[in-house]
Amino acid sequence: MSSTAALEQLVNQPYRHGFVTDIESDTAPKGLNEDIIRFISAKKAEPEWLLEFRLKAYRHWLTMTPPTWPNVTYPTVDFQNITYYSAPKAKKKLASMDEVDPELLKTFEKLGVPMNERAALAGVAVDVIFDSVSVATTYKQKLADVGIIFCSISEAVREHPDLVRKYMGSVVPTGDNFYAALNSAVFTDGSFCYIPKGVKCPMELSTYFRINTQESGQFERTLIVAEDGASVSYLEGCTAPKFDTNQLHAAVVELVAMDNADIKYSTVQNWYAGDEKGVGGIYNFVTKRGLCRGVNSRISWTQVETGSAITWKYPSCVLRGDNSVGEFYSVALTNHYQQADTGTKMIHIGKNTRSTIVSKGISAGHSNNSYRGLVRIAPTAAGARNYSQCDSMLIGSKCGANTFPYIDVRNPSGKVEHEATTSKIGEDQLFYFQQRGIGAEEAISMIINGFCKDVFQQLPMEFAVEATKLLGLKLEGSVG
Amino acid sequence: MSAVVQHPFVEALVAGGSALPATPLSWLNQRRATALERANALSVPSTRDEDWRFTDLAPLNRLHYQAPAAAVAAVDVAPFALPESALRLAFVDGVLAPALSDCGNAAAGVTAGTLVEGLKSHPALMEAHLAVHAPFEQQFFVALNTAWLRDGAYVHIAGHVTLPKPIHLLFISTRKDAAPCPRVLIVADTGAQCTVVEDYVSTTAEAYFNNAVTEIAVAANAHVKHVRVQRESLAAVHIGACAVSLAKDSSYVSQSVALGARLSRYNLDVVQQGEGAAAVIDGLALISGEQCADTHTVMDHAQPNGRCSQLHKTIVGDQAHAVFNGKVFVREGAQLTNSAQQSRNLLLSPRARVDTKPQLEIFADDVKCAHGATVGQLDAEQLFYLKSRGLPDGQARKLLTFAFGAEIVDRIPVPSLVAQLERAVMAQTQAGV
Repeated sequence: MSSTAALEQLVNQPYRHGFVTDIESDTAPKGLNEDIIRFISAKKAEPEWLLEFRLKAYRHWLTMTPPTWPNVTYPTVDFQNITYYSAPKAKKKLASMDEVDPELLKTFEKLGVPMNERAALAGVAVDVIFDSVSVATTYKQKLADVGIIFCSISEAVREHPDLVRKYMGSVVPTGDNFYAALNSAVFTDGSFCYIPKGVKCPMELSTYFRINTQESGQFERTLIVAEDGASVSYLEGCTAPKFDTNQLHAAVVELVAMDNADIKYSTVQNWYAGDEKGVGGIYNFVTKRGLCRGVNSRISWTQVETGSAITWKYPSCVLRGDNSVGEFYSVALTNHYQQADTGTKMIHIGKNTRSTIVSKGISAGHSNNSYRGLVRIAPTAAGARNYSQCDSMLIGSKCGANTFPYIDVRNPSGKVEHEATTSKIGEDQLFYFQQRGIGAEEAISMIINGFCKDVFQQLPMEFAVEATKLLGLKLEGSVG
Repeated sequence: MSAVVQHPFVEALVAGGSALPATPLSWLNQRRATALERANALSVPSTRDEDWRFTDLAPLNRLHYQAPAAAVAAVDVAPFALPESALRLAFVDGVLAPALSDCGNAAAGVTAGTLVEGLKSHPALMEAHLAVHAPFEQQFFVALNTAWLRDGAYVHIAGHVTLPKPIHLLFISTRKDAAPCPRVLIVADTGAQCTVVEDYVSTTAEAYFNNAVTEIAVAANAHVKHVRVQRESLAAVHIGACAVSLAKDSSYVSQSVALGARLSRYNLDVVQQGEGAAAVIDGLALISGEQCADTHTVMDHAQPNGRCSQLHKTIVGDQAHAVFNGKVFVREGAQLTNSAQQSRNLLLSPRARVDTKPQLEIFADDVKCAHGATVGQLDAEQLFYLKSRGLPDGQARKLLTFAFGAEIVDRIPVPSLVAQLERAVMAQTQAGV
């Protein structure tokens, strides 16, 4: 069997998580105008300042145009043909997991997230987001004992308005970019996490996002604040049901790290990528940014991107505090007609700031995978240091791999190194495995896992297992 | 067109291009007219354009348009002369100066002269190559140069002819506010070999604008070495483009050195049209003061088995700003391509700035491509080593800076030019840093 044919079979793996959960939704009419924003705000019983925040963002958004610079092509999104609010019908407050809609629990079951078990066994508190409204929050008490606030953004707005008001929009301003402005105007829910001074979060925090109602865009908003000396590791995992209509997802994630604080944000993204003809799939236009405000702070992004028809995502670090550290570890896998334009920005402002970028791109089928990154050493960033490495692997001759690293240095004591390579799985590598009695499929899986090892090592253990499985799943197939 | 309103000088240049008399060749008139149309339709690039994002054309606005001068100024070419060159074509403010040129001992099979002569002697070849390789649909300055196309340098090497000595194309600027549009066409037929030095110099310290375009057609199995030296006045604006077309199994080796100009931009586009062609693209920008040097290169592997190695270096002092954008394309089907690119940048002052963007766009799976970029200061260990041998700090720094630049200069295959440039690099490293 030729290895090319084997590879083609390997990378064609149907989407396992395609099903629709039948839950009644309380849905706003399609379209976007100030009334819709007022409707969302009223539905969520928000304070006046938040409505103002939304309206300001909306008015700014009206003056903006969608970015055209990414290396992706897609039909123009009709922003008036999107439902901006859809929530499961409000029910009485839930005291325990038993009261959660069994339909909902079944959905998580199918996804392989036995929530209660998983939470108990793994010690993971899952703040479950189901179509924009937080339905259940577990392990809240345990976290509350050490003073950590971990809840949905809506709840935080109600319970901790001062904190939310102080930090929301401080890292990603409302007018930052087209999709961030849209998100600021219409965001429905998301997670809020606050780690007080000196507290080390006793468990990995994790959230599952899931898009459900057809044609309802998801506009999640996440805000994580780590005070002086605090540390937290946050996990985000994504899967979505199978639909033919493209769904827009424009999330905003803001991280704030004060003196000596440490935030680790890990993502495994496996949204519906469209079928093998490129029909359907999620548009994932996300703004993620972390601000190292304090000295010696550290923000680390780890992402495994395997889903979405189009990914437009640049988790960034603004290294303002002296000696702060930014990290970005990424694996992006594209197959069929998927397009990914992803990377990071490291903005060095403080002295002796350091950043590391490790990006691994794998393209198969007719897909197109781009790394786009910026490393900027500001004139104030004396002694700044950056190391970037981006490697691409091509599987098949119809796919593309691109790198667009921007390097902008304005301080002579800064040191920036960038390396990139592009390669394919070598015949000799495969031959070596096969002559040792390891089949082509397993060999390819092992080679790819080896290629991604530097990134997987950064993931928390449970996620590392999941990511390895996910990559295997994506590349799994019958080898004849 | 709002952008042109902000550029009265460029607007006057575009208008000047439309006032040129027609030539007897209809195809040339046609290409010039199309280029003029494009120059009128395109707006002057601004920092809002991705390709000009880091380079501000404001220095162009400080110039005042003048019609080209009729008389050629007297110039002493001795300081720029290359003793080993086979022949020299000297242009003063864009016009050929026969008195300064030296075409005495051209070998058989080698034609070197003006484009006007070439249009008479090789009309078919001209029609096949002139204004064909350098596209101007989207390139404003190439369109402007093409609209102004009257004359320039023409080099033709017949099939299987090897010219061991270099050809020296010398472009001398002498006048303030001059705006020549130098044009060069180099055609190397099957199996031919030659070395061409394209040299931009000045005898004035005033501001002027040089908008140069070079086209190089390399036929199958031909080998062209191309050295491009830009040592313009420190007040000048230099915008240059070079388009290279490589046929099967041909090679193109180039070194470009930018030392002068307040603002310089060099676009080098190499298209590998045939299988197995190879390219070497080396560059050095050594700038200080308020200079800005911008180099954009494109290596387009359109066919399989191509090879390319590229090393671009910059040494940036004072408030100078160096920009590098290197794109490597591997088209679908261009299998077994081996392309490597390095961008090395040395910052010497706290206000110096470097923007570098090495890009890879790859659409074939069986290829080897790599790029690397580094930005930094002199290596502390190397400095320590020299100091431990008794060199004072300043001396050690100068030596290391010189060595950093000399790596590119020493690759130039013309010893007298290497000596001239080493002196210039030495002078600049001694003075500036």
